[in-house]
This record gives sequence, structure tokens and C-alpha cells, in this order.
Amino acid sequence: MKNKLSVMMFSWEYPPRVIGGISPHVYFLSKSLAEIGVKVHVVTCDFPGAPAHEVIDGVEVHRIDSYKNPSPDFATWVYLMNLNMQREAAAIVNKLGGKIDVFHAHDWLVATAGIGLKHVFRKPLLVTMHSTEIGRRDGLHTDTEKMIHETEAWLTYEAWKVVCCSDYMVSHVKWAFGLPEDKLVMIPNGVNTRAYEDPENEHYETFRAKFALPHEKIVLYVGRLVYEKGIHVLINAVPKVLAKVDAKFIIVGSGYMKEQLLDIVKSMRLEHKVLFLGFVDEENLLRLQKCADVSVVPSLFEPFGIVALEAMAAKSPVVVSDTGGLSEIVDHDVTGFKAYPNNPESLAWGITRILIDENYKKYIRENAFRKVQEKYDWQKIAQQTKQIYKSVLGEYSKSFWA
Amino acid sequence: MRVIIFSWEYPPRVVGQLADYIKALSTQLVKNKVETYVVTYHDSLTGAVEEANGVRVARVANPVRAHIGVLTWDLTLNQEVERAAASIYYNADEKVDLINVYDWHFIPAAVTLKNALKIPFVYSVESLENHRSPDPNTPYSMSIKSIEWLGLYESEKVSVKSEWMRDEIVRIHNVPEEKVKVVSPSADSWIKDVLELYKTVAGGANGK
Repeated sequence: MKNKLSVMMFSWEYPPRVIGGISPHVYFLSKSLAEIGVKVHVVTCDFPGAPAHEVIDGVEVHRIDSYKNPSPDFATWVYLMNLNMQREAAAIVNKLGGKIDVFHAHDWLVATAGIGLKHVFRKPLLVTMHSTEIGRRDGLHTDTEKMIHETEAWLTYEAWKVVCCSDYMVSHVKWAFGLPEDKLVMIPNGVNTRAYEDPENEHYETFRAKFALPHEKIVLYVGRLVYEKGIHVLINAVPKVLAKVDAKFIIVGSGYMKEQLLDIVKSMRLEHKVLFLGFVDEENLLRLQKCADVSVVPSLFEPFGIVALEAMAAKSPVVVSDTGGLSEIVDHDVTGFKAYPNNPESLAWGITRILIDENYKKYIRENAFRKVQEKYDWQKIAQQTKQIYKSVLGEYSKSFWA
Repeated sequence: MRVIIFSWEYPPRVVGQLADYIKALSTQLVKNKVETYVVTYHDSLTGAVEEANGVRVARVANPVRAHIGVLTWDLTLNQEVERAAASIYYNADEKVDLINVYDWHFIPAAVTLKNALKIPFVYSVESLENHRSPDPNTPYSMSIKSIEWLGLYESEKVSVKSEWMRDEIVRIHNVPEEKVKVVSPSADSWIKDVLELYKTVAGGANGK
């Protein structure tokens, strides 16, 4: 290819519009691709105060008028937003003289825009499936859920390649939409390790003292307080850990199980050992992760498990349940401890082991940090993504569309 | 001249009077040496064929079968309309003079094709949501009205069958009167008027 590789990405969220995990994913992926010489245009929804067009870290960001048409419900809004996204993106591609090599869509929320533009410009379409409706809902129960599922199926059908962030998601997506093996690509999600580099003169002792006594170890949980995250399993493991080692359990996040969990803690008379912090801002969360003697991810269902990676990047040793994406992130006794899912005994065993055995703890956190740097670095992920773009373009160049 | 007509009904799929009208129109266009394509919806007879009257018809179905209403059905069908129209365009040396879209259903596709491939379009208004719906101020009807408005805004010309409809469009959607052309199917000059209108639009959009 003589000219610079040029990609147009579609995402319904991009900072400052942050709804879930797609926004930071697209931000870091596009930025890292720009750093290795890929021209990236991100087409996304508008946000109050954010300009319609700007260049962020070398990435061209276009924000479309996403509430132009009134809509009776969320799903209809999505398709109408796609109408406007398609219309504005078409005009952008034209303005660039058609110089876009690949379209890259993130999730069904931008499905119809991606599919439509693929056909009118006859350029290859890639999709990253971050999640699925059938996985989120544990089945398809309503017409809306079926419609979204079929839209996802259609999107993966139209895509040249389907990218998933874990081997678990690859097999899930393959099963959900009946896709051939060679259409699927695994490229992990990334962690921005630079955010966890120690600033000079940072005094963690003072910060730590706000949450725990000097002789107490800190056990950290970060996540929504909902059933699938397995927080109740951790709460049930608390007395088992305390029988062996003195510790403070810090719970970050909120959710519908909060009252119930508080009741359990109260009935165990352990209010002084379990601290519910609710939502914590990014800066303080980072410090907490750095202070934690162990981070626990006890999920029952987990497509990827970014929170475990963040803990590993912060050099906090992790105990995770052996399920979904977590199973791939952690190697047992090497980069963390894998507990049996939904088993407080097993979870307590892992937590206690890390808190008591200093050598084990040191060994695990060093291995974990190295693994994050090697496998989940955005630069590496951008390289892998660029390779996929190139191989797709190689195949495309031999097709009758080229 | 090469023209693509978008209509959500065309024989054998007959919902209202539009199907027969589009058949008569496309047949007459072919007789007047216009290369005429029709892109329409059919649930099972999908694909492109040249019919006895010389009209080339492409029928598309919706890849998404479960829906929560006409709107989601329509908005997912439009990508298939775009695919069929793009195929016509690329197989015809990337030259299509205009698209004539009937009613709101395929306005999204016409708008995309205009912005992407610079094909101008005529929006033929058979009826308006304001007249069809008992309560045109529900979110559902507002949504359809916003699609009608988009079509009126993005089209090169609007055609209607009566002066009454022209006045209604001007009144409801604030469209400049000179943009709306009355082409009466009962007039002797009907097909001449259609061709006249097409000529003013062909190549007029963005110079292609």
C-alpha cells in the first residue's frame, strides 16, 4: 500500500461520552493506531459541549447529531441514530475523496451504519463484538432482545472479520451466531499501564491510613454490587479470612445488592472490617489499587474481566474466580490465584495464601505485571489490529469489489 | 437516462394503489427509452430480474425477522435497499442519473446514496403521516414525520399528484413551494411531465 492505511471507526460512545467499556476501548485503540501510522477517523454520537469535529491524540473525531429524530423507544433510537451516522459519515468519506480503506464497527449499536456504508462504498467492514444480547440477558425473552440478537447476527455475517477480546468471547460469539472459525479473531482488551506508573513522592501511607489500621492487610473489591459479580461470595469468605489474618475489606462500587450485603455483614458483626465506599473517582481508585495487598474478582459471569488486569497493572496481586475471560487473564499460581467459582472456602484460601506468604505474593505480582505489559499493552494490541486490517485488505484486493 | 425507483410495493406485492402505479410508470419510462430499475421489498422473491415490460426489478427482504414495530422493520430494511441500489450503480459504470423514492419507507437509503454516491433524488409523496395517523403527535408518528422531513429536505425535487397535496406539504413541513412539482397521473401529459421533472434533476445534485 502506497498511501497511509486509513480506517473509519463507528462507536456510539467516545470520550467525553462514556456509557460503558466501549468508549475507553475505542479511545485507546484509535490513539494507539494513530501512533503507529494509521489514519483513524472515529464517527461517534454528540455530547453536550464537545465539538462536532476535533483531532484528539492524532485521531480525527467526528460527532454526529444523534438525537435529530424523535424516537418512541431505545432500540428505534439506535436505528435512527444510525441513519444520521450513515448520512454524516457518507459525506465525510466523500469529502476525503473516498480515501477510507476499512470500516470498523463496535457492537450492534452501529450495525446498520456500518453495513450500509460497506455496500455503498464497497469497502471491507470489520466488527468488534464487545458483548452479545444473548449473553447479557442469558437468553432471548422479548421481541426487542430477539431483534437485537438478529441485528448482531447480521452484523457478524456482513463483517469480513469478527474481533473478540477473549478466547471465551470467541467461542461464545461463534456459538451464538454460528460463525465459521476462520472468521473470528482474538485480540485482547488493553490496559493503559502508564496510568499506574508511580508519581514521585506519592505518600501512600497517609492515604492508606484513611482506610485501614497499620497492622491490617487491605483486601480490595472493585465492581458493581450485582449477583453475577459474585460479591456475596467474597462477603461470605470474610470470616474465613479473618480467622487466619487481620484484614480490612474495602468494597468499591454500588448496585442493587448493597442493602442485602450490609445486612449480612451486620449479622456477622463485622461492620468494622468491611468498608463499603460506593462510587470512587478514578484518582482515588488508582491509589486504592496500589495500596491493596490483594484484589479479588469473584465473578460468576465475566466476558473479559478488565478489573483484574487493572489490579495487575497496579501491582496488586489478584484472586479471581476461574470463569470466562478471567480464566485466560490469570495463570494459577503464576500470575494470580484462581478460585473455584461461587465457593467462599476456595476464595478465602486464595486470599489468605497471598496475605500470609510474602514470597508467593511478590512472585505473583511481578509475573502479573510482566504479563500485562507483554500481552495487554495497547501498542501491541494496535499492532495486532493493524495486521488484521492489512490481511483483510490483502484478501479484498483480490475481490471484484477492489 | 438511467433511473432507480424505490417503492415498498410492486407487483406481485400489492398493498395499496402504489404497486400498480409504479408498474405503469416504470413500463412507460422504458417505452420512453429510460433505463428503469425498481428496488422493492418482497419477503421471499428476492433477487434481481428483468421483467417482460423491460423493467429491471430488484427485490430485497429484511435480514432481521423479529421486530417491535414498522419503524425498526423499515430502518433495517434500508441497508438491503442500499445494497441493491449500489449493485446497480457499480454494474452500470457508476452512473445513475437519479433515484425516485416513493413515500417515506426508503428515504433513509435515498439520503445515504445521495451523500455517498452523489445520486440526486426525487421524493414522490403519496401521503403524509399527518393525514394517515389519528394522532400525529405520538412519539411514533413524530419519528415517521421526521423521516418525511428529512426526505423533503435532502431531495432535489418533490413530486405530488395534486395541488392540494403540494399545499399541505408547504403548510406542514415548510417546504418552499417551487421545490414541489405537481405531476397528475390523470393528465394527458403525465409521462411527459415525469420526464420533464427527471430532466431538471438528472445530473443536478452534485455535478455527477
